[in-house]
Amino acid sequence: MAGQNIERREILRILAIAAGVAALPGFTKWNFACGHPQQMLTVLKPAGYQPLFFTHQEHASIERLTDIIIPSDETPGAREAGVAEFVDVMAARDFELQRNFRAGLNWLDAHSKRLYGNGFLVIGADQQTALLQTLAYKEKFRPGEEPGREFFSLLREYTVMGFYTSEIGLKELDFPGFKFYAESPACPHKQDPEHRHLPASRR
Amino acid sequence: MSKQIYDVIVVGTGAGGGMAIKTLCEAGLRVCALNSGRALDPAKDFRNHRMPWDLKYRGFGDPKLRQHAEAGFVGDTEYVQDVWEREFTYTTAPGTSWSWPRCSAVGGKTNFWGRSSARFADIDFRAASLDGQDVDWPVAYEEIAPYYTRVEEMIGVASTVQNRPSNPDGHYLPPMNFRCFDMILQAGAKKVGVPYLPDRIAQLTVEHDGHPACHFCGDCTSGCEVGAFFSTPWFLLPKAAATGNLELRTNAIATNVTTDQNGNASGIRYVDRETKREYEVYGRAVVMAASCLETARIMLNSKSGHWPTGIANSSGQLGRNLCDHLYGTAASGYLPQLLGQASFPDNVSDSSIAWMPRWQNLNHPQEEKFVRGYSVYPDGGCWEFPIYYDQIEGFGSSFKREMKRRYPTPVTFMTQIPSLPSASNFVDIDPVAKDSFAIPKIRIHFKWGDNELQMWKHAKKACADVLESAGGILESAADEPETPGYSQHEIGTCRMGNDPKSSVTNRFGQTHDVANLFVCDSSVFANCTDKTPLLSILAFSLRTSEYIMEQFRRETLPRMGLR
Repeated sequence: MAGQNIERREILRILAIAAGVAALPGFTKWNFACGHPQQMLTVLKPAGYQPLFFTHQEHASIERLTDIIIPSDETPGAREAGVAEFVDVMAARDFELQRNFRAGLNWLDAHSKRLYGNGFLVIGADQQTALLQTLAYKEKFRPGEEPGREFFSLLREYTVMGFYTSEIGLKELDFPGFKFYAESPACPHKQDPEHRHLPASRR
Repeated sequence: MSKQIYDVIVVGTGAGGGMAIKTLCEAGLRVCALNSGRALDPAKDFRNHRMPWDLKYRGFGDPKLRQHAEAGFVGDTEYVQDVWEREFTYTTAPGTSWSWPRCSAVGGKTNFWGRSSARFADIDFRAASLDGQDVDWPVAYEEIAPYYTRVEEMIGVASTVQNRPSNPDGHYLPPMNFRCFDMILQAGAKKVGVPYLPDRIAQLTVEHDGHPACHFCGDCTSGCEVGAFFSTPWFLLPKAAATGNLELRTNAIATNVTTDQNGNASGIRYVDRETKREYEVYGRAVVMAASCLETARIMLNSKSGHWPTGIANSSGQLGRNLCDHLYGTAASGYLPQLLGQASFPDNVSDSSIAWMPRWQNLNHPQEEKFVRGYSVYPDGGCWEFPIYYDQIEGFGSSFKREMKRRYPTPVTFMTQIPSLPSASNFVDIDPVAKDSFAIPKIRIHFKWGDNELQMWKHAKKACADVLESAGGILESAADEPETPGYSQHEIGTCRMGNDPKSSVTNRFGQTHDVANLFVCDSSVFANCTDKTPLLSILAFSLRTSEYIMEQFRRETLPRMGLR
């Protein structure tokens, strides 16, 4: 094999793909055609973090969205892992990402107003979830929402990237690496090579 | 001031250069080694034990530097910095895409390599006789086998005896253990007649020759801070330095081989990376080991009255016969048997513990629609980053649960497919473009040929069969292979052969035209086989180095003429 592992290569590829989203037509249109509906809303009080790129309003939306994507339930989620901050740090260094996120947030607010008469942060949790359903699940897709779907997919990608590289996220997966072993860890089920009779999964 | 003349100038400190430096220094020759970049300090430069959350961009790297990722490049990351070159010193001919990651640190790519270390076989050296394509190597397996043995003893290779016609067995340390997904895939592979075996891997499963055993932390390709796998800075260069015969010049970017009035090599001209000043260094012999493409670039740029098209190029073959490994994800999916199981330290090697060594065209050279054969590296299990996320739809607690349930299950299959030499795959010097040191860039002409694309097609089917026979779910396969160059396994630009009219070097890596100019990297290889080149680079470099020692002993090298 060449000198780099597949996983890091995949990560680089993910970054490249995420950047490529900008080539899709929906975004630039929204970026320039939309006003800034969030300005009409009450700007939320920053919770200690000073965003590098996003406005406080935008940051609050990103935080809410990442929280919906990977919620805090039996285990901590994106909010505890500070995923919104990760998204902001990445966006601050990436012009295309800035354009795409800002355009996407504008689209989302406009869409939320069309459906529920209010910006995304203001509508109820059930309405937020319902709105995202049609962007996230293929069978619920609706025509005309392509820019929203692209945005959601991009943000979901960055949420995954931010969450599963955080201490909380890797604990969630019970990441077993970076430990020291006396010998290379071996499959403990050698009597069952096809692994047909493993104990029931934990959850 | 009289100029100092070393016995040997070695360009490059990677596998080929490192072996030459060590062998020649130990033989008592005075060696000056040139390396284009800096020396690394493992404790400072290798951050492989860092957790991603300790890094500003979580290991994804600064998005501003993303252009390299987009060019299909593997380079500096947050784990490895100021080691890979950012400048593109090559151009591509129309219709060619090529990625050429250049590692300029002392030790080159051996600092970060994938460690697969299979010997080439008789079936590889005599491939042309078997299938009628191209030419045989000028070296038989029996001749190189003792060098393989010595190299394996030097570096430590873990594997098992496998008795396969395409994979001569060597001298091995205890193998790496199979993980759960290996056991499952092996059972599936058996059903469809595909071998699934421990790879030959230069990773120390036990302490070896003063080097510590691996601690299986799993981030080898960011550099090993204890030296538990082979790299020249850990294994060879200290031995060379201990002789007192080595002068290592870092940040010395070789531009060309200088010649005397008879057209023999007199030394190397280089530019200092920091001051941009030019220097010359003189030697009775010159060893080129700058990597396949860089060696060709330097030699093609070494033009003189004697060598109007580049030094040692009377055959016109310098830069020709470029071959590469076609890499691609032939299949990826997951193993439902492992859904929801506890996580397991699967990624303890950061490379392939298992391989599916060439199983095609073994009984008859033309059983398949292609000639020769390829190998596959399967990988999977609990990696650091859950790259399967895009296979799971939606969001919320159900998404989060499914992400965790899937964690132990993913598997992928990466092909290692040799390209056949082709008249249209070569490098030359770009007539216009120069790099920031005013050195002319090389221009790469390369396309995958039909034979390798047939193998790619075959591999996709075969890997899907293995996965499905193992009870796995096939989710995707890459439509296209990776960009050529991606494997970093390019070979062939200074091909060895017995006929000076059709090859650049003789069977000992000595150029036919210039008796005191030698090539010790993969550019002398006649074809790339289905195996990773590094072990063979070491074996051939060892052989060439001992041949050079012999020339010094017998005083056969040309005396340096006036310049």
